Amino acid sequence: MSQSRQINLSKEGVPIIAIAALAIIFGIGLFVVGFDQGHIFSIAFGEQAFEDLYIHELTHDMRHAAGFPCH
Amino acid sequence: MKTIIFIIIVLAAGALAGLVHGTANLFLVEPYLDVAIGIENQNLFSSGQEDDTLEFWVEYERYREWQKGGQVFAGVILGTSIGALFGIIFALSRNSLPGNNNIKKALILAGIMWLTIYLVPFLKYPANPPTVGEADTVVLRSILYLSFIAISGFAALAFFKLSKKFKNQKKLLALFGYAIFMAMVFVAMPENPDEITAPMDLVNGFRIMSILGVSAYWTALGIILGILWNRFKPNKEVPSFN
Repeated sequence: MSQSRQINLSKEGVPIIAIAALAIIFGIGLFVVGFDQGHIFSIAFGEQAFEDLYIHELTHDMRHAAGFPCH
Repeated sequence: MKTIIFIIIVLAAGALAGLVHGTANLFLVEPYLDVAIGIENQNLFSSGQEDDTLEFWVEYERYREWQKGGQVFAGVILGTSIGALFGIIFALSRNSLPGNNNIKKALILAGIMWLTIYLVPFLKYPANPPTVGEADTVVLRSILYLSFIAISGFAALAFFKLSKKFKNQKKLLALFGYAIFMAMVFVAMPENPDEITAPMDLVNGFRIMSILGVSAYWTALGIILGILWNRFKPNKEVPSFN
């Protein structure tokens, strides 16, 4: 007669890959909203991005509201 | 641990809490931003950099609507970002956190992180509306603010580790240690170099609304992640049958 046993494995360890992925998202998101002064778009648009400040202007209100330094 | 489920619920909780933050700010913070930017406009007119024309106001209104949409969009991005950090710390510390369910545990951690990486840095470098803050000092102010957040966050972590070596009431020594250490950092760190020239009732009102908005974010983040954790249990492996 065959028996069926259920084993619930509880593994609390947090995978390094998950920590790394979330840490990257944390860093990028924080930089975009809190600190970008044209740096990200300068990769595609060069020096003009530092004049346009597109991301800075788009995130401007949250930047102030969340307490980040702004102009 | 179910890695993909873990990442998805952490990001979803952060994005939803960020949506709450951005939407709340439309009502809490935007009226103050409009007044502050109105002062900036008057300065532009009086200095001759802009003309007080109908075209200016049409363009201005369109621009502000775009920025208010950006408030919500940025809320989701920032919420997801901070939520990612919160998720990492929650997963690593869940077993050490007080509380008999994941919502309570997440809310307690949210409260600790709100205090250590938001409120304590805010007391030294409070949020300011537009009209306060020189463009020339933004890099210095960013470095100071980020440094203070990092110092406070790592100090909280270090004193938490220290508290685990103590028992019962002696654990409070670690809390006092954190408070004393941060008081010293508070005194040692340079002040915000910019002079406040805007009306103080505007500045103070803005700061209170800023605190309310960020507090709404941390509360929502704790509740949502706690609920999602209860629902999806990412710490449990899929049952296997032998």
